[in-house]
Amino acid sequence: MVRVENISKRFGRLTALDSISFEIRQGEILGFLGPNGAGKTTAIRILTGFFPPGDGKVWIAGQDLFKDPRGGKRHIGYMPESVSLYDDMKVSEFLDFSACIKSVPRKTRAVHVREKTARCGLDSVRNRLIGQLSKGFRQRVGLAQSLIGDPDVLFLDEPTNGLDPQQIIEIRTLIRELGKESTLILCTHILPEVSMVCDRVLILNGGKLVASGTTEELEATLREQQEIYVTMGDRHRAEEGLAVLSGFPGAEQVRIVQEKNDQVYFSLFVSKGRDLRSEISRAFVERNLPLLEIRSVRLSLEEIFMKIVIREDAAS
Amino acid sequence: MKHAFTVARKDFLSYLNSWIGVFVLGFFFLMAGLFFYLLVMTYVRISMNASQSLYPSVEGLGLTRFVYSSYFLNLSVVLLFFVPLLTMRSFAEEKRHQTLELLFTYPLSDFEIVWGKYLGMVWFFELMLLPTAVTIPLVIWAGGSIDWGPVVVGYLGFWLLGTAYLSLGLFVSSISENQVVSAMLTFATLIFLWALDWVAGVMTGPWAAFVSALAPIRHYREFPLGILDLSHIVYFCFFTLFFLFLSLRAVETRNWKG
Repeated sequence: MVRVENISKRFGRLTALDSISFEIRQGEILGFLGPNGAGKTTAIRILTGFFPPGDGKVWIAGQDLFKDPRGGKRHIGYMPESVSLYDDMKVSEFLDFSACIKSVPRKTRAVHVREKTARCGLDSVRNRLIGQLSKGFRQRVGLAQSLIGDPDVLFLDEPTNGLDPQQIIEIRTLIRELGKESTLILCTHILPEVSMVCDRVLILNGGKLVASGTTEELEATLREQQEIYVTMGDRHRAEEGLAVLSGFPGAEQVRIVQEKNDQVYFSLFVSKGRDLRSEISRAFVERNLPLLEIRSVRLSLEEIFMKIVIREDAAS
Repeated sequence: MKHAFTVARKDFLSYLNSWIGVFVLGFFFLMAGLFFYLLVMTYVRISMNASQSLYPSVEGLGLTRFVYSSYFLNLSVVLLFFVPLLTMRSFAEEKRHQTLELLFTYPLSDFEIVWGKYLGMVWFFELMLLPTAVTIPLVIWAGGSIDWGPVVVGYLGFWLLGTAYLSLGLFVSSISENQVVSAMLTFATLIFLWALDWVAGVMTGPWAAFVSALAPIRHYREFPLGILDLSHIVYFCFFTLFFLFLSLRAVETRNWKG
């Protein structure tokens, strides 16, 4: 659906993007991550046709975006970061304006606009000036205008920025629904949001694409060892538990993390690809040790992100 | 091209919805009315004196000739103040609110954006002109007669001058990041162009003719007298196209970097 080939962009002496290539499949929800100044905004601006790259090509729905910008941009819906909208227009006026520009046929325009208005929960504010709306509603107007014209690819730049928790949940639900119909690129710095919503993640740093893949794939490339947490009841038998865990071949750094409320928490590392969990539970049951919980610790996207960015910074 | 009209309609409506638009519309009408009233009063006084055979020559000077020629010259000065207020909104405001970013990602060509924005202002300018035409039925109602030539040509000239000024303002707005800067710069440039006529007056030699040819007022002056000269029309067309072209280039600069 979206194909990016070796795009670069320089502003004077600063290289904002350095030969980036990737592909986004139809129906995929892609998370676009990177620390501030990594080139995220520049990349999004190129992909939405704001300005062309210095070098390289962008294909959207099989069309070269910068050979025919007007044609290419028809396939794009963009919700800008700061939700900059025309404050002196009414919601319905603005959406109608978008529909005109995006060449929604005159006959179906009213129905089309109505449908998007309802979809984004804007019915109650249709006739209000955008400038008078609350942040949550503005965000929805920004989303609604990006949906107008049923674009194949949606770019959402920080869609939940500055919303309260209730609104965030609503917008996320909406995003997930939208992801079922169109290809979606989500640009955000809220990492849990990405792991909740996105199929795949791209990480930019210093203008380069440093990682790409599903959260699990990224995690796998980063991790040499797997950490396992074990919780046991009856703290008086802590030493016994520790001995059992240490007895497994391949178990390293076995330690007691905490003893609390008659419960003992252990932690141990095993080498990658080796899962000791079933063996541990069997051993505990055989010795009649009260096993309460056993789980392998996953790296959160935050940790993955930090590790990749730090690794890249160290390398350069 | 159809989309240019959509952009124009949006900008036109946003002028109407803004306090600055309402202010410009109302105040321009007020100023125009005031000038018209003063000119008519002056004419009446001179005519009275003429009937007492003090200035028998004034008898031949028609009302249209006397009132409307000065009227349009006065309005051209008023325009210097109102054009910056209109044009500062076009690009500078969209930049400040970052809505231009959105517009650039819509399926619009740069030409459609520039032309649409310009057209929206021209429509608003025409709306400013419309109520001033109320003077014509007023004169007829009061028993005067209208000499249509100078009035129609005067309006044409004023329209050409106004649209030319707007194109200059549009260009300044497209290179300014902020409305105040845009308005100040437009005002300064317009005043400079306005003064060019005087500058040419005190100059001698071949440059005087050149500077004088550049001055918009020099080209405008003949319209209110009812003289339709093709060279003046061509001058204003070039003026407008030149600044529209520069505006388009200014918008396209975002494509150059890198």
